[in-house]
Amino acid sequence: MTTSTTVTIAASMRGGTKDYGSGDAAVRALDGLDVDIAQSEFTAIMGPSGSGKSTLLHTLAGLDRLTAGESWIGETQITGLSEDKITQVRRDKIGFVFQAFNLIPSLSARENITLPLDIAGRDIDPAWFEEIISILGLGDRLTHLPAELSGGQQQRVAVARALVARPELIFADEPSGNLDSRSGAELLGFMRRAVKEFGQTIVMVTHDPTAASYSDRVLFLADGRIVDEMREPTADRVLDRMKQMGH
Amino acid sequence: MFRLAVKSVRHNPKRLVLTAVAVALGVALAAATFTLTNALSGGFTKLFEEIYAGTDVIVEVDPDADPAEEDPFAATESVFTGADVDEVAAVDGVSSAWGGRQVMGSVLAADFEPTNDVMAGGGPPSQLFNWAGDPRVDQATLVEGDGPAADDEIVLDLDSAPNLGYAIGDTVSVATEAGVEEFTLVGLVRFGESNSLQGATLGYMTDARSAAINGDDGYEQISVIVEDGANQDAVAEAIGEILPPDTRAITGEAKAAEQTEAFDEILQYIDIFAIAFALIALFVGAYIIVNTFRIIVTQRTREFGLMRAIGVSGRQLRTMILLEALVVAVASSTIGIVVGYLGALGLSTLVEAFSGDIFGTVTLPLDAVLWGYSLGALVTIVAAIMPAIHASTISPMEALRESATESKKPLRLRNVVGGALTLLGVLAIVVGLYMDIERPYIPVGAGAMILIIGVTLLAAQVLVPLAYGLKATLTRIFRVDGKLAANNIHREPRRSANTAAALMIGVMLLALVATFTESMKSLVTEQFKGNSADFFVFSSQGAIPTGAIEVIEGEDGVAYVTSTGLGTVLLDGGTTNVGVIDPETADLAFDYNNEPDFDQMDGGVFIDPSMVEAGYEVGDELTLEGPEGTATLTVTGRYLNEGDAQVWIDEDTGHELLGDYPLAQSMVVLDDDVDAAEAQDQLLEALAVDYPLVVLQSPGEFEQLANQFIDLLLGIISAMLGAALVIALLGVANTLLLSVTERTREIGLLRAVGVRRRSIRRMIRIESMVMAIFGTILGMILGVGLGAALVRALEDFGFTTITIPWVWLLLYTISAAIAGVLAAVWPARRAAKLDILQAIAFDG
Ligand SMILES: Nc1ncnc2c1ncn2[C@@H]1O[C@H](COP(=O)(O)OP(=O)(O)O)[C@@H](O)[C@H]1O
Ligand SMILES: [Mg+2]
Repeated sequence: MTTSTTVTIAASMRGGTKDYGSGDAAVRALDGLDVDIAQSEFTAIMGPSGSGKSTLLHTLAGLDRLTAGESWIGETQITGLSEDKITQVRRDKIGFVFQAFNLIPSLSARENITLPLDIAGRDIDPAWFEEIISILGLGDRLTHLPAELSGGQQQRVAVARALVARPELIFADEPSGNLDSRSGAELLGFMRRAVKEFGQTIVMVTHDPTAASYSDRVLFLADGRIVDEMREPTADRVLDRMKQMGH
Repeated sequence: MFRLAVKSVRHNPKRLVLTAVAVALGVALAAATFTLTNALSGGFTKLFEEIYAGTDVIVEVDPDADPAEEDPFAATESVFTGADVDEVAAVDGVSSAWGGRQVMGSVLAADFEPTNDVMAGGGPPSQLFNWAGDPRVDQATLVEGDGPAADDEIVLDLDSAPNLGYAIGDTVSVATEAGVEEFTLVGLVRFGESNSLQGATLGYMTDARSAAINGDDGYEQISVIVEDGANQDAVAEAIGEILPPDTRAITGEAKAAEQTEAFDEILQYIDIFAIAFALIALFVGAYIIVNTFRIIVTQRTREFGLMRAIGVSGRQLRTMILLEALVVAVASSTIGIVVGYLGALGLSTLVEAFSGDIFGTVTLPLDAVLWGYSLGALVTIVAAIMPAIHASTISPMEALRESATESKKPLRLRNVVGGALTLLGVLAIVVGLYMDIERPYIPVGAGAMILIIGVTLLAAQVLVPLAYGLKATLTRIFRVDGKLAANNIHREPRRSANTAAALMIGVMLLALVATFTESMKSLVTEQFKGNSADFFVFSSQGAIPTGAIEVIEGEDGVAYVTSTGLGTVLLDGGTTNVGVIDPETADLAFDYNNEPDFDQMDGGVFIDPSMVEAGYEVGDELTLEGPEGTATLTVTGRYLNEGDAQVWIDEDTGHELLGDYPLAQSMVVLDDDVDAAEAQDQLLEALAVDYPLVVLQSPGEFEQLANQFIDLLLGIISAMLGAALVIALLGVANTLLLSVTERTREIGLLRAVGVRRRSIRRMIRIESMVMAIFGTILGMILGVGLGAALVRALEDFGFTTITIPWVWLLLYTISAAIAGVLAAVWPARRAAKLDILQAIAFDG
């Protein structure tokens, strides 16, 4: 879990427990989980369906609250903060890319990208904006509404939006899950570049070994616990590991 | 299919709640009115039965006698002589006959002090009659003391006497047209069984005294008691044979039934009035229903696509939605009827707490139920037709689409239809108002309806540029919240337009009424500009007593009093309203709109515009036939306002034709150097002796009084429109609520990327306010426009200026903004409370 060099921790969780429902119907989605997310690293979270991947992502990102345990974004302890404070942390420190429905239908691509800045009332850094746009190849699509973009373009707009405010962390839940393999590969390539070239920290949930192979480190989840991790993954190795887990 | 519809309603009842409330509110309005008028009818039936209970046969003026054909003046008030009474009494089967007459007057309270308040007057009206001494005739039973035997004696009903501060033996003052009359209270009577007089004072005096006060010993009515065992109908018939022309004999029972029927007819107008407002309310409600079903269809596009894919036909889908609408209609109409009934029950209890027992038993009449269900069902089904048709055209492919947004159909068709309807509506209104046609209210009403629908359709188009225009402003003020709000309004222009239009209708009517009433106030002000009189004379008990005018004329400092009298004469076989003025002074006191001035009347007659239209002109000879005489007069001029009187004559001719005619208005002009306030006190003091109920109003006071009445009118109509406005606001709330549901993901996403709850709430609130204000402004434009058109059309009635009610308009706009905030409370809370995770979950 640790390497010999000191790394800065972008997010972490200690004893993270999440229960859904109560009594007989109670489901423990996270079971006393400990995790650290290193800065400027591309972390993938894998595991069988229902293993708690999304729950981990949501609780780490402050979208949902833990039943027990603590979690941090950078130095800020999320657990125990008020709803408004957590919203502010999300706004200022976190970017999101979801599997679908990433964009506000009534806003143009450009407006969607600058939404986090608009919300925070911050100015756009034009150079940074241009750089993201050109890397993601969105230059001629900025005035389009989401409905006028392809699925791959929509996801790239979502990535651009996640990047534009230079958040400390980007959380992505199956970002390529809805895309064909070419668009998916392109998108994952961009995300990897963001990590390598701009030192962006990304946490990505996926169940696709190929997607996981773009990451620096894969965490394997089962029954709400981290059961294994893998550095410098390849698709084949990840697939093998998953097969062992009985996926 | 029906089961599917019911299931669908039950599966997601929340989205239909506000729709149901809207329908229920309109239905409740109708049901409550029916219940109330039904109870009132019951109460008054009982009253009429009580009034005529004891009397077997009533002999009276035949109300059906046609005055135009027969002698129109034979059947005036005191038609029966003492000899007539004796003759009736002699008819076979008649046990006794009694001539009855009413005395116009008001019993003054023991501590009465004359005030100069038109309203204060003598309090509730007094009903004074000659005393028969037979409870069957009087309808009153002596419960204490004696009946009036001497001419200075009076009896009062047992409730009024103590209320007015009198006990047996006290001196009672009665203000009559002949002056204040004094009596000694000798007894107390009870009216019918329970003395339910609705606050009126009942009193009896001797026959001789009543004749003396009236200055006429004729009777208005003869009450007949038949001998035991005699058949009432047969006796009535026998009496009928010996009666003077244009009078009749009718049994007490039949008379009660006739009165009840006449009263029910009046109540019917109240029902129609209420139905009109209920229809307005439901019309507004229809907009909400359209929106609700439209949104529901959109939200269920995938579901419907799936159904189509597995073989459900478009027609079946349509039927299913209409059935859903029917389920909603029946449920909400039921609620509406029950609420209306309970409301009526509560209201009648409240009213009776103040006014005594005026309602019969409050039951739910069949009318209320039938009207309730038919109005509710009609409106709901009609409103659901378009969305249902839309649903039936959904292709199976829609099931495969991902996002469920309304297809971006261009607005072109809507604009063309809307534009055409708008033009058609305006045209119909113009035709109705300015062309000289019969029943102008039909094209005007229909035109207004078409105009509203046309404007509603066009509003969607107007909203697009408007939302863009607003976007910049709202973004500057509210940043992202404002931008998103503007986007949301613009995203579904049809939906936003319908929502705003619902409010538009209510505001339009308000603005119309306000424009009309404010213009009416201007008319009053305008009229007072032409006034040089110092006081207007009023009587709080009806006609101005001529004696009072004499008193005023006799006072120092009074230059002259000029009066307007009213009467009816026959002209070329038809009845004509005649106004009587003093040509010398009329135009000095008041600048009448006439050509030339009245002082050029020269013993002739002036005619109004309706007479000119009928073909009469200056120089013609008119033969006017009045009850007292006939005169052939030359038309010497024109009176230019319509609606006051058709012909105008001078006082001498008036007396010649009409004898003593009632005064409609009297104006006092003081000498130049007299102080008006002092003169008012002096004159009132003089009047207090014999005419304590006569008051003097300065033009300022009078104008204020007139304006108070106009404001009251505005108030009543506004209150009646309240239901429509409430429904419109429910519509705003409903649309927002549904679109919040629709935007669940979007709002979840906004929350995920860091938008605070407060901001979400604000976004919804801005959206609501913009829609509300937009609807209000549209409504005000239409309302002021229609009001102005109406005022112009009434030019002949003296309306000269169109007054735009700026204060009201400002008030409406502010209220709209507040209402918008209120309407957004629930949707905004819903939106802010959305669970982010559920909102962004990817499963449907
Ligand atoms: N809102 C919820 N209510 C109840 N149970 C839930 C909820 N969300 C997730 N779960 C349960 O928690 C467990 C973990 O779910 P999730 O984190 O979505 O897993 P994954 O993303 O790995 O498929 C599963 O058993 C799931 O059924
Ligand atoms: Mg998941």
